Amino acid sequence: MLLQLRNVFKWVQQGGQRIFLLKDINLEVAEGEFISIMGPSGSGKSTLLNVIGMLDTFDEGEYDFLSESVHTLKEKYRSNLYKEYIGFVFQSYHLLDDLTVEENLEMPLLYKKIKGSERKALVADMLDRFNIVGKKDLFPTQLSGGQQQLVGVARALIGKPKLILADEPTGNLNSQQSEEIMQLFKKLNEEEGVTIIQVTHSEKNAEYGSRIINLLDGRKI
Amino acid sequence: MFKNHLKIAWRNLKVNRLFSVVNILGLSIGLAVTLILFIFIRHEQSFDTMYTNADNIQRVLLHTDGDNGQEIWATVPPSLGPTMMIDVANVEYAARTLKNDFGGTASLRVLQQNFTENNLFWVDAELLHIFDIPFIKGQAKGALDRPNTAVLSETTAKKYFGTTDPIGKTFTVDGRYELEVTGVYKDFAKNSTLDCNIMASGITTGFFKNPSWNNASFETYCLLKPNTDLASTELQLQEMLNKNMEKENQWYTFSLQPMKDVHLYSSGYDNAYASRIGDIKEVRNLIYLALLILLIACINYMNLTTARSQKRAKEVGISKTLGSSSSSLVLRFYMETGLVTLISLVIGALLTSAAMPIFNAITGQDLSTDLLLNFEFLISLLAIWLVVTLISGLYPALYLSQFKPVIVLKSSIVQSKGNIFIRKGLVVFQFAASVVLIVGVLMISEQMDFIRNQKLGFDAENVVAISINGIKGTEKKDALVSELKGLGNVSSVSLAQGFPGMEVSGRSLSRNDDDKESLNIQTNVTDASVIDVLQLKLLAGRSLPIFKQEKDTLVEVVLNKKAVDYLGYTPEEAIGKTIFISVPNTIVGVVDDFNFASLHEPIGAYAFHNNTGERKSFALVRYKIAANSTTIDQLETVFKNVAPNTAFEYSFLDNNLEKLYVRERRAAKVGFVFSMLAIFIACLGLFGLAAFMGEQRKKEIGIRKVLGASIMGITQMLSKDFVKLVFIAMLIAFPVAYWLMDKWLSNFAFHVDMSYSVFIIAGISALVIALFTISFQSVKAALSNPIKSLRAE
Repeated sequence: MLLQLRNVFKWVQQGGQRIFLLKDINLEVAEGEFISIMGPSGSGKSTLLNVIGMLDTFDEGEYDFLSESVHTLKEKYRSNLYKEYIGFVFQSYHLLDDLTVEENLEMPLLYKKIKGSERKALVADMLDRFNIVGKKDLFPTQLSGGQQQLVGVARALIGKPKLILADEPTGNLNSQQSEEIMQLFKKLNEEEGVTIIQVTHSEKNAEYGSRIINLLDGRKI
Repeated sequence: MFKNHLKIAWRNLKVNRLFSVVNILGLSIGLAVTLILFIFIRHEQSFDTMYTNADNIQRVLLHTDGDNGQEIWATVPPSLGPTMMIDVANVEYAARTLKNDFGGTASLRVLQQNFTENNLFWVDAELLHIFDIPFIKGQAKGALDRPNTAVLSETTAKKYFGTTDPIGKTFTVDGRYELEVTGVYKDFAKNSTLDCNIMASGITTGFFKNPSWNNASFETYCLLKPNTDLASTELQLQEMLNKNMEKENQWYTFSLQPMKDVHLYSSGYDNAYASRIGDIKEVRNLIYLALLILLIACINYMNLTTARSQKRAKEVGISKTLGSSSSSLVLRFYMETGLVTLISLVIGALLTSAAMPIFNAITGQDLSTDLLLNFEFLISLLAIWLVVTLISGLYPALYLSQFKPVIVLKSSIVQSKGNIFIRKGLVVFQFAASVVLIVGVLMISEQMDFIRNQKLGFDAENVVAISINGIKGTEKKDALVSELKGLGNVSSVSLAQGFPGMEVSGRSLSRNDDDKESLNIQTNVTDASVIDVLQLKLLAGRSLPIFKQEKDTLVEVVLNKKAVDYLGYTPEEAIGKTIFISVPNTIVGVVDDFNFASLHEPIGAYAFHNNTGERKSFALVRYKIAANSTTIDQLETVFKNVAPNTAFEYSFLDNNLEKLYVRERRAAKVGFVFSMLAIFIACLGLFGLAAFMGEQRKKEIGIRKVLGASIMGITQMLSKDFVKLVFIAMLIAFPVAYWLMDKWLSNFAFHVDMSYSVFIIAGISALVIALFTISFQSVKAALSNPIKSLRAE
């Protein structure tokens, strides 16, 4: 078991009443799963993903990640935990504009305090694997959207995470680019056993996954 | 349209609270400083303009060769005044003024009571023709025509005579002159150089009755006929001098100084009696400082406004697509700036009236904010408002209004390199200015410490100078000395004309009577104990003889090393030689050099002698352990025993020395306060800028955090950029500061060397201040929740 959410609630207070963002979510994710979260806008998909990624807190319930109970952990340990095991992929890539492709890839390793020589090796390896060696000195703005997202995925993978969280990873891409990214996810999942949870609007993308979770108004249906 | 612009401007202010507060606070302080200095400068410039004849009044200056090249004295020989009135056609009136006891205090006995008066002037009756001084009692005309008459200022009359009508009453000065009060005049205005409490008719004294062409101790004013040419008048003065003095004996020439320049342009002149001396340099420096502070505040505005350009860019883009022209946008941003500066100006004016007493306390001024309501001032306020608005608004208005709507609306980030460069340049400028100010303040305080701790060649500590002008007769004075010596805590007592730190009599020293060359020398009438009292180092010979016969014409002298060096003797050789200081003098002793004047000046020649020309005005008392009130009480008791009818007045020698640096201390204090303000404003700007930088890099910070960056790491990253700027600022500031302080220090003949430590301390403090300022924002940005900033657009 990779992670488990039990009776998770999240709400905001608005005008004296609670607006529920997540309502009684129960979820078990085993290692090697590929899950797609679907649902209309505002149904809580991203919130759920952020909670799983420990970027956001929740108000009630329990969350175990690799048998650590996240809800009782301090911020510092929590950040160590996700730094170690989770990679993020965003809809708008969120690459750093001032850094080259190579430097963008290197950044998570810097924060993991990995030595220079090892960093070089890992980055070179990743550039090679994603076929972007020729682009390593370019800045994100010099790349197409698909290429940027490729870098985004590579960056998420470089720390060898157990879990990749992707928030509409193909939302800004055209269909061909989308296809490539989804194929990449599928390959990672099948060949390397990386657990993937993605948020998507597209039925087609959702098909890549092994399981679909549907949300409506913060509730699993 | 106008109303719409104003509405948007107001809303913008309300929405961006931090931005508005930082801007308005910075500008208000900047404007308050400017306003205060404006009032101060106006006050300084208004000196002596209240006299009807102000344009035609001149002060006579004396030029002579001193030890350090040309010296200009504000005092001239007593013969000049009366002679020029007769011989110089352009002169209508001339009047001499002489502060009692050549700049000392007067001991008064009024209605059976003793007082010490330190502002009594002996003047010619013509003074009342030259300056129209309004009288409350009696008449200005003829008030001082007779000998033994005096006029009092209103406050002084009240102080000495209370409610009794002083007209016709008499009082005694220094137990010597009995004066009849013939008038009471309104107190001199705060901005009058003349500031006498009592004006006594000069012809009462011998100095006025039997004038000479030496003894240049008389500050002399003259009233010229209207539209007189100054140069020709000065020529006439020279002709007059030629008529009265042989060419080779002329050790001086004269020039005229317009009354309106007297206050601000006399700081380099010696011997003036006026205590209200301004300094155009000080005024200029303050103007520069005020402009600098205002500029820093304006830069804050520019910086913060352009930093927010991304937010505003979209607004500009939309406005433009809706058909707004560039000029209309320029107007709009200017309106916003104008609103901010207007609010700041109002707050600044309020701050000004609140801070005025503080400024007065620091500078020893007595300025009021009444001027703020003056019509002329309101006009200049309007001008200040316009100028500040124009400067502050210039860059934002022009920069922001030029955005191209397509680019602005398409991409989320608009950031031209030029913009960043200018913004960073502005921050660098602000910090460079701050660093220069810090170096300045540190350097000045180091020099002040140096002055305080400098070995002066004599010991000013534990010496009290008691004024004995009111004591008549040698016996009484001798009695006082022996009684003082009888006190347990007193180690030695000396009677002297003056003491180091005050002017004594300037004469010239030459080898013999015929010697054409001479050296200016300060001469001080005193007795044998003076070396003990002042703890001077005797290099050769002995002190002055203890006894001197009443009629003995032989003058003994103790010279300092500088004087002996001039004569070309070693101290040992000098003993027994006869030299010439007005009269022949026999050298009996040589003391090592000591700083008898301020440390601004190199040590000159000095002589202690026992000729009888001048009066011994002080009893200098050295005591064994530090004086306390008991010591002073004992001194007073002894003094009262000997001279029951004289006021007891004393001062500590070391305090007197301190007074030589009043202007420097004031400059140090003013500099300190204003520098702090400048740094504070610069920090406000940095604070705001850091806030917006943090906001700008929100996305980046979010990404980094998601990738595992620690809060510490983010804080460091954000601070690094600013630290770099501070370092660049230092690189620029240090040479400038070095140059400025080198110039300032050269005002002192004795000064500290510029030390690295000052620069290091200034650099570190700038850095610490900057880091401290930024850290709030950096930490805040680092703590912010990444999902908020990364939420998909």
